[in-house]
Parts: sequence; C-alpha cells; structure tokens
Amino acid sequence: MTKPTPSAATRREFLRRSGALAITGGAAPFALNLAGIAEAAAQSSPGYKALVCVFLFGGCDHLNTLIPYDTPTYNLYAQHRNGLAIAQNDIANTVLTPASGLPGGQQYALGPGLAPLLPLWRSGEMAALLNVGSLAAPTTKAEYGQASHPKPPKLFSHNDQQSVWQTLGSSEGATSGWGGNMGELLASGNGKANFTAISVSGNAVFLSGRNLIPYLVAPGGSVQIEGLRANPFGSAAVGNAMRELITNSQTNSWLAQAHMDVVKRSISADADLRSALAASTPPNTTGFPATKLGGQLAMVSKIIAARSQLGATKQVFFVGMGGFDHHADLLEQHQPMMGQVASALAAFHTEMNQLNLGPQVTSFTASDFGRTNGNGSGSDHGWGGFHFVQGAAVNGQNFIGKPPVPGNNGPDDVGSGRMLPTLAVDQLAAELARWMGVSETNLLQVVPGASRFNRISLFR
Amino acid sequence: MGARMDDIQSVRTLGYSGWVNAQIAQPIVETYIAWIDANSPANKSGRAEFDIQVWKRLLSNTDQLRQRMAFALSQIFVIDVQAMPGGWWPSYLSGHFMDLLEKNAFGNFRILLEDVSLSTAMGFYLTHKGSASADGSGRVPDENFAREIMQLFTIGLVELNDDGSQKRGVNGAPIETYNNTDIEGLARVFTGWDHPNLVPRGESTTTPMKIYDSRRHESREKKFLGLTIAAATPGPESLRLALDRLFNHPNVPPFIGRQLIQRFVTSNPSAAYIARVSAAFRNNGSGVRGDLGATLRAVLLDSEARNAPASAGSEGRGKLREPILRFAAWARSCRVTSSNGKWLRDTDDPASALAQGPGRAPSVFNFYRPGYTPPGTEISRRGLVAPEFQITTESSVAGYLNFMQRAISSDNKFGNLETDYTDWELLANDPVALVQRANLLLSGGGLSASAITTLQTAIASMPAATAAQRRDRVQATMLLTMAAPDTLVSR
Repeated sequence: MTKPTPSAATRREFLRRSGALAITGGAAPFALNLAGIAEAAAQSSPGYKALVCVFLFGGCDHLNTLIPYDTPTYNLYAQHRNGLAIAQNDIANTVLTPASGLPGGQQYALGPGLAPLLPLWRSGEMAALLNVGSLAAPTTKAEYGQASHPKPPKLFSHNDQQSVWQTLGSSEGATSGWGGNMGELLASGNGKANFTAISVSGNAVFLSGRNLIPYLVAPGGSVQIEGLRANPFGSAAVGNAMRELITNSQTNSWLAQAHMDVVKRSISADADLRSALAASTPPNTTGFPATKLGGQLAMVSKIIAARSQLGATKQVFFVGMGGFDHHADLLEQHQPMMGQVASALAAFHTEMNQLNLGPQVTSFTASDFGRTNGNGSGSDHGWGGFHFVQGAAVNGQNFIGKPPVPGNNGPDDVGSGRMLPTLAVDQLAAELARWMGVSETNLLQVVPGASRFNRISLFR
Repeated sequence: MGARMDDIQSVRTLGYSGWVNAQIAQPIVETYIAWIDANSPANKSGRAEFDIQVWKRLLSNTDQLRQRMAFALSQIFVIDVQAMPGGWWPSYLSGHFMDLLEKNAFGNFRILLEDVSLSTAMGFYLTHKGSASADGSGRVPDENFAREIMQLFTIGLVELNDDGSQKRGVNGAPIETYNNTDIEGLARVFTGWDHPNLVPRGESTTTPMKIYDSRRHESREKKFLGLTIAAATPGPESLRLALDRLFNHPNVPPFIGRQLIQRFVTSNPSAAYIARVSAAFRNNGSGVRGDLGATLRAVLLDSEARNAPASAGSEGRGKLREPILRFAAWARSCRVTSSNGKWLRDTDDPASALAQGPGRAPSVFNFYRPGYTPPGTEISRRGLVAPEFQITTESSVAGYLNFMQRAISSDNKFGNLETDYTDWELLANDPVALVQRANLLLSGGGLSASAITTLQTAIASMPAATAAQRRDRVQATMLLTMAAPDTLVSR
C-alpha cells in the first residue's frame, strides 16, 4: 500500500469532512456535527492530553524576561538596554542552571518577577525557548534584506503578529489557527467535540479549526440564560417564545444566523459544563492568585478535572493577559506583570501534578513579538522573543535554540535590537502537535511550514 | 442611538436629510470638563465621573448624532480611561478627549488629527508624551504613536483605492503603505511634546501638548512616506508637515470612510458605497477635504443605507448592533433617567453585562477589528466581515440577555436608572399595537413577520387584568424584542 501524500490525504479528509457535515446538516447541534466526522487514520496516542496557550498580549519585553547573566553577555545587554537594564545583582537568585550548559559559558536568569517559575525549572518541568518568533522560512540577516526572501506579513504590527503567531502566517482576518486545527484532528476521541478547543480569554483565532468551532467560556464558568432557566414573568409562553426567537428565528441573514449559532452553542455547552462540573471533584484552586490570569487558569483546571464527565481526551486551551505593550514605564510595570504570569502558571502546574496529570498537560507562553532595546522609558515593537514551555513531559531545565547576541544591528538583530528569530513558531507548533498526538501524515494540516524547519527536542 | 416616538416624528417632519442637518447644527450641550468642574469639584481624581458622563450622553442627550459620531470616533481614536494614570485625573483626561471628539465630530479631520495628536490623554495612552530625541547612546524615540497614527488613525497597512479595495503591486500582492524606516522617521516628529505640568496636575491635561524644551525635540532630518523634513526644523512646523502628509494620503478617505460606514450602517459596504463616501471626504462640495459632517451625511444618506434590503441578495447586509447601542435604544425608548445622577458604569464584563464599556476598549485596537470575521460561519465562508462578532461569545450572548432582563424587569429601578413605561402601558391590552411599537422603537422595524407572530402570541397569552400584569406584558414585549436576532442585527 502506498502511503498517501499529505496533499492527497488533506483532500480526502476535506471531502470526508464536508460530506459528514452535509449529512448532519447545519441545524444539528454542533456536537453531533463533529461527532459525525470519522477519522480514517486514527490519531495514535491514547490517554488524556491538554495543551494550554498563555498569550501575553501587547508584545512581551523579552530582554527583561530572560536576561543574560554571565558577565560578558550581561555587559552587552546592559550597554544596549538604554537605561532599561535590570541590575545583575537583582537576578542573582533567578539564574537558570541548565541540565547541559550553553556554549561559551553563557548563562541566563529569569526576570526577577518570574521567580515563582524557578521550582518548575529546577524540577525539569520547564524549558526556555531562545529567540523564537514568526518566520516564513529559515532566514539569515542577509536574506532578511532580500525582497525576494519569504517573510511573515506585517512584521512589528500588534494585531497582525498576534494572528501570525496563532495561525502560522496569516495576518488579521484569518479564520483558523494551529490550536484549532490540531484540535480538529484530535476531536474524534472526545465525547463532546465542542469541549475540544476552549478559550477563557475571548475570541482567539488560535483555537478555530477549519471546521472546529472553539468554546468561549468565562473565568467564572458558563453563563446560564436566566430567561430559559425560569419562565420570565412566570409565563411559559414567554419562555418558549424567547427560546424560539434566540435559537430558531426565521431569517435569511447570515449575521442573524451566526448569532443564533452562538446562542445554541451557549445553551448546550452551559448545560453540559454545568453538569460535568457538578459531577466532578473540583480541584483545589485556592492556590491560584486572584488575578485575571489566575482566574482563567483556575477555570482551565476545573474543566480538566471534569475531563471524564465531559468525555474529553484531547483538549487545547487558550488563556491570555493584556498590557504588555510597554512603550513607557517598562521597569515599573513589566516585572510585576511577569510575577502575575509566573504565579498563575506555577499554581496551575502544581494543580496538574496534584491531579496526577503532570506529564499530560503542557503549557506555553506566546506573545505578539519581542521588543527593541528601548527608548529610555520603554521598548518598541520587535520580532523574536523568549518564551517558556511547562509540563512534566517537557525536556525541562534546558534552553532550546541559539542564544542571540545583544546588540544594535548586530549579527542577530535587524536594528534597534529587533531580533531575527532563529527558532520559528512553526517548530514549536510542530512539536506540540506531535506531542498531542497528531500523526506525521497529518502534521502539515496543522503546521503547513513544518517541513521547512528542523525538528527541536522539546519533549523528553 | 435610540428613538422615542417624538424622535421619529421629527424625522418624518424634517426628512432624513433635514434631520441630519438639524442634528449637525445642534451646538454642544455641555462639555465633560464643564460638567466635572460644576458637579464633582471635590472628586476629580477618579474614573467614575467619566463613566457617568459618557453614559448620560448615550442614554439621554438630545444631540444624538454628535454623540453617536463621537462614540464612533472613539472607536477609531481609541483611548481607555482605565489606562489613564491615577495622579493625573483620569476623568479629566478621558473627558477632555471626548470633548475633542465632540468638538470635531462634524468638523475637519485635519484639525481632529492634530487635536488628538496633541491631547495629553493620547500622549499618555500611546506614550509619545515625553518622548525624547535620540541621545547617541543607541536610545531611540518612542515609536508607539508614530506606528498607530498610521496603522489605525489615518492610512492603514496597505494602499487602497477610493472604493476601499486594495491596490495590487508586483505579482498581485498588496502594497504596504509604510515600513519600519518610515515609523522611525515619523517617531522623530513626535519627540519633545509634553504638557505644562502645572498644579493642580490634572487641570493642565486639558492644554494641548507643547514643546517646552526644544532640546528634547529631534533636530535631525525626519523622513517618512516620501516626505523629508529638513534638519533643525522646529517641532510645531515638523508636526504641521507630518500631519499634512498623512491627511493628504490617498488612503485616508476610504480608510476612515469604510470604518464610519461600519459603525453606522453595515459591516460590508459595497465598493461603490465606499467610493461615494470617499468622494465626500475628499471634497465636501466646496473643495474642502476632510469635512466629517459631509462625510457622515454621505454615510447616512447613501441609497445603500436608506433603501430597505431586497429579499434576495441581502443575506450579508447590515451589522450586528453593538451591545452599548442596543442598551441605549431600549433606555431611550422608555425615557430613562438617573435618580442620583450616577447613570451607569462597569458594563465591560461579558458574563454579567454588555461585554463593552464606552471609552474602555481593551486596547488601541478597539473592542473589535474592522476586518474581523467569525470563523466557521457563512460570513467567513463568503469572505465577509462582522467586527462586532469579535466580542460575541457563548458567555456574552447569555450575559447580554440576562443584563437586559434585569434592566427591563427591574420595575423602574435598574440601579439608579428609572424608566418610564407610561406610553407603553397604554398599549398593554393590545398585543398587536404593543409589538408594533416595540418593533418600531427597539428593532427599527426589523422584526420578521414570523417573529411578530411569535411575540404577539406569547404576549396575548399573558393576563392583563391588573396594572402589574399589564406591566409584565410591556416588559415581556421589550425582553423578547431585545432578544430577537432581527433586533440584534440591523439591516
């Protein structure tokens, strides 16, 4: 038997999916739609797995996230940071000792606010990604200057680079992302497909699949429609009319239909999630900080704890925190925010370990872009950045990628410290997809650019 | 924004064009700053005064079109009262910024652009306030405002034709309007600007930013978008040249025009409609470019805005109404007043309120993007957009319905908001008339025949013997109308 080429497999899959969708029809509950999709090449990994994307909106200042600590590199950093450097003394307690050392004795320390992540690093449950960012293909500095060399669209623009990170190449207005496309391939193992891709941070294209629609839940859980729970004004006729209008109005408007589809998903997901949470043992979320991100990750924990009740075997989550666009007041604001991220992530992984899911849940940070050396008060929009991947399955206590040289139009930056990434989001996405159980055959459906880059050793 | 019967009568009397003209002619009722000074002299340091004022205007001001335009402009020129620094009187900052939008609502875009660029509130929000020239150490000017004034306030990312379509370059690829070198050049223009830092600190934030120390303004040459501003050109002259360059860029008419159409009329205007609005922006009929009153007239009085949608081919027309405007329509229909002058605030939470708070967008990218398309819908399959769906989630649709139910059924007391259902209650014994009124005032006549039947049947089944029962009928009519997709989507 010949192995189908990816494109043939993609085509077949598309036909099967569109056929299945046509059979169940648009009016059927969404869960039925996706449950109707059969996977010919069943995804191979059994057992529950979850992936959590922690998006830092605004472009996290990478230079004060992971700071060079060895004196020669620290001095370069301090020289170029234009008054935004964190003192070497202040990061002595957050030096990251790797399992295998970096070339030339290079060392990095976490920004002091990230100290709550140190235990994860030391226990081998966290890896650091060096100079990761959006790339259309491997790119040297000389190639960056060539108009003909493929580059990501609309570099340095917030909304577009958020989209590029989440979709692997498409700017604003894109309709599917790699989390959703991954979830779509893995949803067949889930009893309720609509709990495959879940955002606790509003709409994010990351979680939309080509057909899979993400579920957007509030940090406090699902919201029940009061007028359907109890008859408004004590009138069953009004309650019935409300249900009829909000879910089944006769209309030829695509916008009205789209709104009714959201309402239908809201009603069905609320009922399912409410009963699943009631039937499961809630995790101990008292350790989560009382921050927006803490609340979102606490909700993710509750859903994961209810995975059996939800019939979920593979889930992709999205949480987020805003405010990282530090053009000014970087030193005052950035580390406290790093602290919020770190304490929420630390609480989440503690909770996952208590649920005995340490090796089955992986989280990673992402952001619009890294930033520049600085304008004296803050820093501007850059490109490559530093990020972290957490979980007991991760090849932890390691730096992955090539340490960039701090500079201004030096070998690793394209001016003002904007780092030319040496690690593509595609490389990160491909390993996360493989870990979640996406087969090599299907990988290009999730990460179309995977074959353009080398593999990285992200998991043990 | 919202209508009462007398508003509709006024439109009938004046005609659409006459009504728009009359609205444009209405003077500003009262500035935010004057109100804060008069009503809250002891407490200027908070954010509540701004929220109170912005909601008061949305729910009760008679200069509806100015308010609606200022609200639309606040979604292009975005700031956030929550991001205003506490020590600098956030309500003053955001209130003064809204005063600038109201002042220029029907004025000229060039003046608006300069007012916005020099407003201390924008200076704080996009951080160009206090940006300094490069010092030779590698430190460079803050690029934040330079980038966003191009990407979001004037020209956008790619070159446009007058009808809003993208120009195509080699290999049919879109042509980017600027690169990072342009941003670095323009960032030099926005150096040295600051505010006078008087005591009390907040009061000075209503003065336009100036260059108080010319050494902080970049003296080297400034180059962007093909314009070269010679070295040693003083700051004010540099600013004039830079804003003129942006204002006269061919992208501005379609870029701003399309967004105004999206805020007022439809998410997916035809190319011809955008071109007609662009033409009005380019020339108001008297040779003046950037007349926002003329531009708005073109938006509102266009045949595509006025004609009832044809049954065929109208599937993608219209827009999802913003939650704030839905609520305002309901509140105005029952003459809402505030018992203690505190009106409304904290409507941002999707799970329990409106998923939207005026003057509180989560970032400079507003509540939603003009190009947002909801994945997995016919809208995205057809290549159309629906910005308001970006804040429409499984939580927000339930949160909205619950918020409306609480407001409507609160028996005249929704927090401090008091409603007047008298006109409505007169019709309580007549479900047909009641639903007709709701359809007109709340739904803009949008309810389909089948929705009308569903409503009438449900309302007719409710008892109407007592005053309380008649009130229930009114409230049920309002709730069902505000819940109907025919109301949520204006076509």
